[in-house]
Amino acid sequence: MSLLKPFSKLPGLNTANILLVESEEQFQQSLADVLVEETSVTVNVRLAKSLPLPMENDESRPRIDLVVFIINLTSELSFQSAEASLKYLDPGYFLGKVCFMVTNARNASAPAERLDAVRKLAASLHCPLLFAEDQTPDGVASATERLLTILKVAAGLVPIATALYVSNLTRCTLPLDIDQPSFD
Amino acid sequence: MDNTVKRLLERLVRRIPSRMLKTTLDKWSRLTATQRQSIDYTESKWALTEKLLAICEVFMLVSPWFHTDVIENPNLGMWYAFQLMDPQDDAHSVELTQFKEQFKSHLSELIRHVSIKIKKHTDEAVWIRIAWGDTFSRPNHLKPTYVVHYLQTPYVFLSSLTSKQKPLLSQALVLSTRYQAIKDANLSGRKLTAIRDLLMKQYLQVFPTKFPSPLAERNRVVSNLHIEKEQAGSAANRHQMACEAFGDGLLPQLQSAVYKLETKFRDHTNKTMTERDEAFRCVVKFASTNLLESLRHSASSGVASTPVTPLLSSVPLKGKNYFVITDNGPGPSSQMKPSQK
Repeated sequence: MSLLKPFSKLPGLNTANILLVESEEQFQQSLADVLVEETSVTVNVRLAKSLPLPMENDESRPRIDLVVFIINLTSELSFQSAEASLKYLDPGYFLGKVCFMVTNARNASAPAERLDAVRKLAASLHCPLLFAEDQTPDGVASATERLLTILKVAAGLVPIATALYVSNLTRCTLPLDIDQPSFD
Repeated sequence: MDNTVKRLLERLVRRIPSRMLKTTLDKWSRLTATQRQSIDYTESKWALTEKLLAICEVFMLVSPWFHTDVIENPNLGMWYAFQLMDPQDDAHSVELTQFKEQFKSHLSELIRHVSIKIKKHTDEAVWIRIAWGDTFSRPNHLKPTYVVHYLQTPYVFLSSLTSKQKPLLSQALVLSTRYQAIKDANLSGRKLTAIRDLLMKQYLQVFPTKFPSPLAERNRVVSNLHIEKEQAGSAANRHQMACEAFGDGLLPQLQSAVYKLETKFRDHTNKTMTERDEAFRCVVKFASTNLLESLRHSASSGVASTPVTPLLSSVPLKGKNYFVITDNGPGPSSQMKPSQK
């Protein structure tokens, strides 16, 4: 099985590499366009539909500092694809180098059970769960800002902070009543 | 002028939306330029109609034919495609005047009161407008049937035809085009141009090639050097297969595809249904503003598996959007057999 490994390659100077995994391949493109505009750090963005990544690119691929799974809550396929991709990541990534980003959380057609399932998944893996709005440029910009904050830490570009330390603060926690039915 | 004709004219003018009235009347060559100028389009429609009637009265017009707006907008109502079968020896040399005479004489023999107008459009299409009447009443011009036929092709497109009129029209068509039978092509849609383009394959076809793009640089539309797609190869593959199945560029706008299933129920988790002997009847309908575009996108984005299943690719391949699927004998290869009804 070709696992993606976090520390098997050397890092670049003042560079951060992020991998965006999204089954629908829509939001990742707009995020990528804004991410590369960052000036203080060179950001390289890799886009994928799912894991595992093709082996042909192994040589040219830089060290991935942060893996972001983008899940569209209105699509079950999106969630299942993200879940299935998780097993192709080396466990080393789950120490602060994986993040879940969720879109369409306020959409009426997104069932509440799916958000709960994503929450449970993120909490069990000790990863942060971010909510994003993908339709407006403002939404994309704010999602990018938050990703950059986590990315810079994961790439080791922020003094004193490490990915594991920050993930302890930002990881998703389950509310105690998550298994109770909601009163909608 | 006859009372019925007057009323007909009134109703026809009322049907045309106000914003299109000026363009329609300009196209209608029976009015002279001065008459057209004398019509004040800022008046209310009722006043306009009265004015128009007065002008027409003066020139004793007998049969107004507002077909121009139907030809310009051939997208009103449902169109059904039919195919002529078994050509006789001289079917391929039927030309316009012969077809016109034959059709008019055959249809008039079959039904007494019928009004037929045949016109050849610039794109080689022959438009026939038929107003049906019966032994006791005059032809009803408000519910005409439109027939579009492309000479030297076996395709005929019909709109607004009742089941009573169908055998008469079929007989007349078959005799005048020198074929032996006519059958339903199982293709229907709101846009005539779309079903015509689909049937006659007038959209961009993509043929399977071993090397899709001769120059690798041509496909390098990279927005930014820092952004790289990991799975670009498989995405390009899927896109290629989707285009091979459905075509490239703008696709004809089909609104729906209907699959009538008469197959045995197959689901291991549901024993009661699987044990039944008779076929499980079910109708599956796909609907969209542009169905072929949606299907192509679902194949290229990976939602539908590639290579595209023959169930979906039959729509453009056979030019049909109504399928009856039955079980036919053992084995997976004959599990699906799109046959026509």
